[in-house]
Amino acid sequence: MLPGDLNVLVIDDVQSLRVQLREMIKALGIKKVTVAANGEEAKQAIELEKYHLIVADWCMAPTDGMEFLKYIREHHEMAGVPFIMLTGENTKERVFKAISEGVDGYLMKPVTPAQLQKTIYDLLLKKGVLG
Amino acid sequence: MTNSPPSLPSGYQDFLNELTGFALAAEETLTKIEQDMEKNKNLFSFFSTKMLTIRGTALQLGLSHVAHIAGLSEEIAVKGSSAQTRPQIRKCIGSLWDAMTTIKHLIINHDQETVEEQQILINRLDATLKAFGGPRETASAADIEALLKARG
Repeated sequence: MLPGDLNVLVIDDVQSLRVQLREMIKALGIKKVTVAANGEEAKQAIELEKYHLIVADWCMAPTDGMEFLKYIREHHEMAGVPFIMLTGENTKERVFKAISEGVDGYLMKPVTPAQLQKTIYDLLLKKGVLG
Repeated sequence: MTNSPPSLPSGYQDFLNELTGFALAAEETLTKIEQDMEKNKNLFSFFSTKMLTIRGTALQLGLSHVAHIAGLSEEIAVKGSSAQTRPQIRKCIGSLWDAMTTIKHLIINHDQETVEEQQILINRLDATLKAFGGPRETASAADIEALLKARG
């Protein structure tokens, strides 16, 4: 698959960050980027379409990034979708929790376009989504 | 010549408007805690979540002073939620009001340099946090990379 064929879901409760992230990801050559404001909106989005990558904030309501990750991993046909947590949360305890519960990538804000590009491409190549 | 502020990059003003909204929500929470310190102590966790949102947004926007103060406030609010005595809770609330006033000022005057008063506030917040046992331990990018690698 090529970057132009990917479908990415971005979840963040800050509207300006959603817009910024969508533009950053589109600049990587990924044409289709859908945004959601929280885990509940994201649950609806994954019922409508299949995504190749999810980039989610942690602190949101209703349904935060970790709750949404658990929902996908445990209950959904997209259980194996690559999942990047992009958050300001930097305490050791919380980072360990996220990694032990199955995030594939963990980026701390502020994220630069170069960091985002490296994390996304490295992960999608490793998972065999991009080839 | 006009007195209008310098033009902002596209989307920047939207960020600032959202940040202001988060700050106002945090202030409302603080008011509720103040009204009944013991009963509403649990609202400190909501306050700390708001500070986390402000910190993350401010970092992404390059407002490092706002992010720094929001980070200290987030940690003080975490301490507030487990404070055992009224004087401890009151101390947290007092520090957080000072922080909110400064955060709002810095958001509105985002193009100004940090002044001495803000540094004094940061020192005071640091001292308060130390008195409560210091901030929680944080993970570095290297820690995260090592953990992800170890998990495979």
